[in-house]
Amino acid sequence: MSEVLLSLDGVSRVFGDEVKVHALRDVSLDIRAGDFLSIVGPSGSGKSTLLGLLGVLDLPSSGAVRIQGTDMANLGDADRSRMRGGAVGFVFQQFHLIQHLTAVGNVETALLYRGLTAGKRHRRALDALEQVGLSSRSGHIPVQLSGGEQQRVAIARAIVTDPLMVLADEPTGALDSQNASNVMEIFADLQSPERAICVVTHDLGVAARTQRRITMLDGNIVADEHQDIDEGVR
Amino acid sequence: MRRLWELAGVALGGLRARKVRTALIMLGPILGVAAIVSAIGINESSKGHLKAVLSDLGTDLIVANAQGSLGGFGSDPRIPEDAAARVTRLPDVESVTGTLQMADIVTLPFEEAEDFYRAFPVPVIATGLNLPETLEVLLASGRFLNDFDVSTAARVVVIGRDLADEYGYLRGEARTIQLNGIDYGVVGVLDYVLLEPSMDSAVFLTFANAEEDLGLDSRDPSRLYIRAPTNTKLVAQEVPTVISLGGPDGANTSVPTDLLDAQSQVDENLNNLTKMMGGLALIVGGVGIANVMSISVIQRSTEIGIRRALGHSRGTIAVQFLLEALVVGVLGGILGAAAGAGVVWLTAELRGYVMVLSVVGLVGWAMVSVAVAVVAGLYPSTKAARLEPLETLRLG
Repeated sequence: MSEVLLSLDGVSRVFGDEVKVHALRDVSLDIRAGDFLSIVGPSGSGKSTLLGLLGVLDLPSSGAVRIQGTDMANLGDADRSRMRGGAVGFVFQQFHLIQHLTAVGNVETALLYRGLTAGKRHRRALDALEQVGLSSRSGHIPVQLSGGEQQRVAIARAIVTDPLMVLADEPTGALDSQNASNVMEIFADLQSPERAICVVTHDLGVAARTQRRITMLDGNIVADEHQDIDEGVR
Repeated sequence: MRRLWELAGVALGGLRARKVRTALIMLGPILGVAAIVSAIGINESSKGHLKAVLSDLGTDLIVANAQGSLGGFGSDPRIPEDAAARVTRLPDVESVTGTLQMADIVTLPFEEAEDFYRAFPVPVIATGLNLPETLEVLLASGRFLNDFDVSTAARVVVIGRDLADEYGYLRGEARTIQLNGIDYGVVGVLDYVLLEPSMDSAVFLTFANAEEDLGLDSRDPSRLYIRAPTNTKLVAQEVPTVISLGGPDGANTSVPTDLLDAQSQVDENLNNLTKMMGGLALIVGGVGIANVMSISVIQRSTEIGIRRALGHSRGTIAVQFLLEALVVGVLGGILGAAAGAGVVWLTAELRGYVMVLSVVGLVGWAMVSVAVAVVAGLYPSTKAARLEPLETLRLG
């Protein structure tokens, strides 16, 4: 059994003071090194809330979120941010690149404040862009890149820190089918025994290309199943 | 240290990416600092200039003007000639010169100009012979009127510097001008008289000539110039009594340099007002920074969310925005100080002052700009740090 990288233990998340909305109810989940999993479910099922907790962008109302055994609730903002920056790489549906920075500048942003020299940051960012096949566009700003290219820059930014887990929020949602397929291929290639890849999606076709599928409904995990990768969907 | 450099790089990048907005928010500190620096600089330069002028003029000249009924009803007041002699005998008085400005004298450089100089008459002043000594003014050329002119009843005049320029008088030129149709030889040009600028365009002649040719009824002057190097104010108080000998209305006295001092006080008040306005501009500039940066935080909420997702802490985000405000303050302060110094330099050049500018003051006001910008940046940077990445990134 591989190492548990991230675990949710009896996690609930309630929003609002007077009118309470239970976005997650007593959810427990282990994500292990080497996992390639998808989280699916209809709108309002709690996917986004789960994503926020997995990415340490939010804290649970009750229960514990642990990264390699460390309870995130016990850390201050600075330590939690450091933990997030080191353990999680994000990929967003809308790419979320910083518009005034070049592709390599965007990737370098993930390496700031880590004690690296500017030269080292630049080299590692270029390596990450090389990994997603975009080294030739490193000097371009986001508006000069296609949607697929922007998403690849975002993936390079997510992996440049060599995180424990890549967390992708509808990574193919804003892409055409060809680019969507390319992006999923990159995710498949990023799989390694040390790293987990987690994709939150509406698209069952995308979910079919992952090894483990978690289905959510009304703030609960209703299914957590391992599956054979559907190569035909590629 | 490296972290600080990285933060400074990010802050500069953020400002560079929005050049127009950065320039606009920088305008406040620039205008504020420039206004204050120029107000202080011009004030100091002007004071320096005034001190130099005062030192040139000396602060020991008294002017006594005839006042009241001594000259008789219906005529201009005059000071009796013997009263002028009494003033001369006062202790502390070095020299006294009486003058009388005459009316209705047509002065012509040449006959063809008669119409013009009837319309715009030149002041004609009958004067004692020691006027240059009493006023401590030199001759620009030639000589002043002297005893020989009086004893020989020579028809000679001295003209003021501006009048010489107006007449096109050349140094050493043998030139005559006409006073009421009588030719007078010009023997000298009096240099600029800073305390009596009206003398610069006047003609000076002896009382004897004025009596002989221009119908002057007596040698009583209407004004005395008194040089009293010591106890000047006391002498100024004594002179009216010495002139009137207790009789009705004699003369009033003034020390012209006191007027210049008063002038500098007025300038001081004006400059204080300008400084206050500059301070106000700095505060308004600070409010502008807070306002524009707050809007900017909202506009850049996604960028803030991205940076938070990438592991930047709330503190890091706050410092990033605070550094942006700091850079605005530093650049605004430097540019404002430079602009203010430029205004002072230009004013000094135009008015002939010696530029006086304190480097400590320049740095000090630039630092005030930095402080205002940092205080103004506190609210937006705190606001940026408090943004919840989950809300700004619109996940799911």
